[in-house]
Amino acid sequence: MISFEDFSFCYMGSEEKALSNLSLQIEKGEFVGIIGNSGAGKSTFTYALSGIVPHHFQGDFYGMVKVNGLDTVNVAPEKLAEFVGEVFQDIDSQMVASVVEDEILFGLENFGFSKEEIKKRLEQSLEMLGISDLRYRQISSLSGGQKQKVAIASILALEPEIIVLDEPTGELDPESTVMIFEILKRLNKEFGKTVIIVEQKIMMLCEYAERLLVLEQGKLVYDGKSKDIVEHVELFEELGINVPRVVKLGLRLKEEGLYQGKIPTNVKEAEEMLKEVLAC
Amino acid sequence: MNLLQYVPGDSFLHKLNPVTKLFAAFLYGVACIVTQSVWVEIVLIMLMLAISTLAGLQKRALHLAKNLFILGLFMFVLQLLFVRTGEPLLVYNNFCFFTTGGLSSALLLSFRIIGTMLPLMLLFAITQMNDLCSALVKCLHVPYKYAFIVTTAFRFVPLFTTEFHDIEDAQKARGVEYDTKNFFKKMSLIAPLFVPLLISSLKKVDSGAVSAELRGFHLRTVKSGYKEYPFGLQDGICAVCILCLIAGAAVL
Amino acid sequence: MLTFDKVSFAYPDAKETINQLSFHIEKGEMVSLIGSNGAGKSTISRLANGLLLPTAGKVYVDGADTQRTKTSAIAKKVGFLFQNPDRQICQNSVYDEIAFGLKVQGFSKEETDRRTKEVLETFSLKGDWFPFTRSRGERQRIALASVLVTKPELVILDEPTTGLDYRECIMIMDYLTQLNKTENVTVLMVSHDMELVQEYAKRVLVLTRGRLVGDGNTNAIMKDMSILSKANVIPAQIPTLALKFGDRFSDVYTIEEMVDAIKKEKQQGKGEVAS
Repeated sequence: MISFEDFSFCYMGSEEKALSNLSLQIEKGEFVGIIGNSGAGKSTFTYALSGIVPHHFQGDFYGMVKVNGLDTVNVAPEKLAEFVGEVFQDIDSQMVASVVEDEILFGLENFGFSKEEIKKRLEQSLEMLGISDLRYRQISSLSGGQKQKVAIASILALEPEIIVLDEPTGELDPESTVMIFEILKRLNKEFGKTVIIVEQKIMMLCEYAERLLVLEQGKLVYDGKSKDIVEHVELFEELGINVPRVVKLGLRLKEEGLYQGKIPTNVKEAEEMLKEVLAC
Repeated sequence: MNLLQYVPGDSFLHKLNPVTKLFAAFLYGVACIVTQSVWVEIVLIMLMLAISTLAGLQKRALHLAKNLFILGLFMFVLQLLFVRTGEPLLVYNNFCFFTTGGLSSALLLSFRIIGTMLPLMLLFAITQMNDLCSALVKCLHVPYKYAFIVTTAFRFVPLFTTEFHDIEDAQKARGVEYDTKNFFKKMSLIAPLFVPLLISSLKKVDSGAVSAELRGFHLRTVKSGYKEYPFGLQDGICAVCILCLIAGAAVL
Repeated sequence: MLTFDKVSFAYPDAKETINQLSFHIEKGEMVSLIGSNGAGKSTISRLANGLLLPTAGKVYVDGADTQRTKTSAIAKKVGFLFQNPDRQICQNSVYDEIAFGLKVQGFSKEETDRRTKEVLETFSLKGDWFPFTRSRGERQRIALASVLVTKPELVILDEPTTGLDYRECIMIMDYLTQLNKTENVTVLMVSHDMELVQEYAKRVLVLTRGRLVGDGNTNAIMKDMSILSKANVIPAQIPTLALKFGDRFSDVYTIEEMVDAIKKEKQQGKGEVAS
């Protein structure tokens, strides 16, 4: 579905490559989390997926990025938008309308769908995110979490198979963060969407993403299951990624010879672990 | 209070076609310009206030009228001092302060300003910018690009206002003295406000452009609009009323 | 250092309101303010440095009533780091940016130069960098450096870790902890990262809809689920885990404490079996 082949990109005017020699494949229906330090190339990665790189941000482009078999260099971003929808970091500036309904209509109208189709998709995407009651509200009167849902709905309305999100929860509180992740999980499981999310909160990625990509200074340094981070804790610590406390606890107990089982990645699993440790 | 903010409602004014609203507001202003009578001017302003009250916009209308009144007062004083026709009215030591002609033309001008601006400003209270934009594209075939630029500019006003206040706060928190009375010192402190605003505006505009582009902005055609903006009976009635108003204003 | 005395505040559009809020922070404390978005955290931090004035009640910074003190005078005592560094950065080079804060506060040329160079060193920044094109983490560091260069007695951080990765977070927090220890600087940080709060703050204020629902020792708050659920935060993992085992891990807050507690329990268990 998505393939990067030895992809490198250097922004115009910059001396260092934002991403270098990236090769990977992402299949349909995956839930991929991307983590890395600021300036590691996470945003550039998402831009390459949606064709903003190299069509909007210009620079030196090496290798190949294919989405659904299309070479992103040869296809206009709006053509790619049929397959890839991207939600950006800055919630407010990506909005184009002042009313929720108009925000979602924007893309649908542009692509020239029929009236019936537009009506169907509008209602469907509001429904999917549980924001039908916000339909006629002014966007400026919504909370951060609600605005983010509107942004996702306006992308979903175009029915892309791949949804890319660049730190969608950066400015949200924990409650709204969990809510957004629950929605993404539903889109992934129930509607079979491929979800690719850039996120700093490793705890959320461990819980929701199946696959984890770690970028460091433009290079892919880890590509594997998120559950497997327990086997690479040293690498993550070295990269400055905050490994969940329960993982560290599990490893410490193993080190002390008190526990031999599977290392937990969330509190629930850790509770099981402790019960086991205390029982024997 | 943001004077450009839409006030939700479903009064007869809200229900008019956006294009009708725009032209009605414009023609109401024309009526205020063509009339030569101060009394008609006053009646027009009162009528506008009455109409706004019926549409549930009394608060906004009065607030606007108050602001416009200050502008009108300023123009009144200027006009009064500079127009020198008619009989001298206030004379002191052979120096004529103002004349009858000055007084009447000053009164007319200041009321004219209030009368013209009021309906145009109220337009924003009863029309969503998006609707106005789509209706202009649909009914008058205005190129979408231009309509979009105008609506976006309006939408960015409150965003930039908030941003500006936050930047001001950030600089104040560092000890930049915006409460200084020294004008030159104040002017030298403007850079800390405008540099961050410029940078963040550029970022915001760029991210907005990318987001619009990805959602097919360039693919849009005249036929694209989902919402229809048909003209109804009320639009016809409104048009007739407004034409009568102009005719009346011109004759009186 | 900072006192809120029955403070109430309402915005003109009444979106967010602070209601009869009272607390006192001593000099040299390291306090964290937690609560969900819209609870009034940003309002409180702005009330604390005079950017907002209370509609009722009084705010005292080092004994001075904020209503009677100029913001620029308060700014000499209170350093404020905003969530978004871009609102602050306004000069063409990192050196000028850091020196700017000293300049507006009327420091001499020599002193400005000396302090700026010192801070550039501590934060591993280069004076000739063009600040606007640096990464988010570096921009946040530049902003913090230009706040701390004036040596404020109270530092307020409004969600300092937004947009930062963990390593940058730790670096900033470690530096502040050190300042707190060596220079007795008071720190008030607004955050919803409970792991970070647990690690760095000694006292926590919990805010819900403009009211203070909890104020106390960090460890005590970490285990008070009734308070944490009101604040809509994700509790720190180890204390949550400890809580599930009731009295058995009543004093456990960190990984090491947990390991020790388990070891102890095991030994006791063996002792019982042996006897």
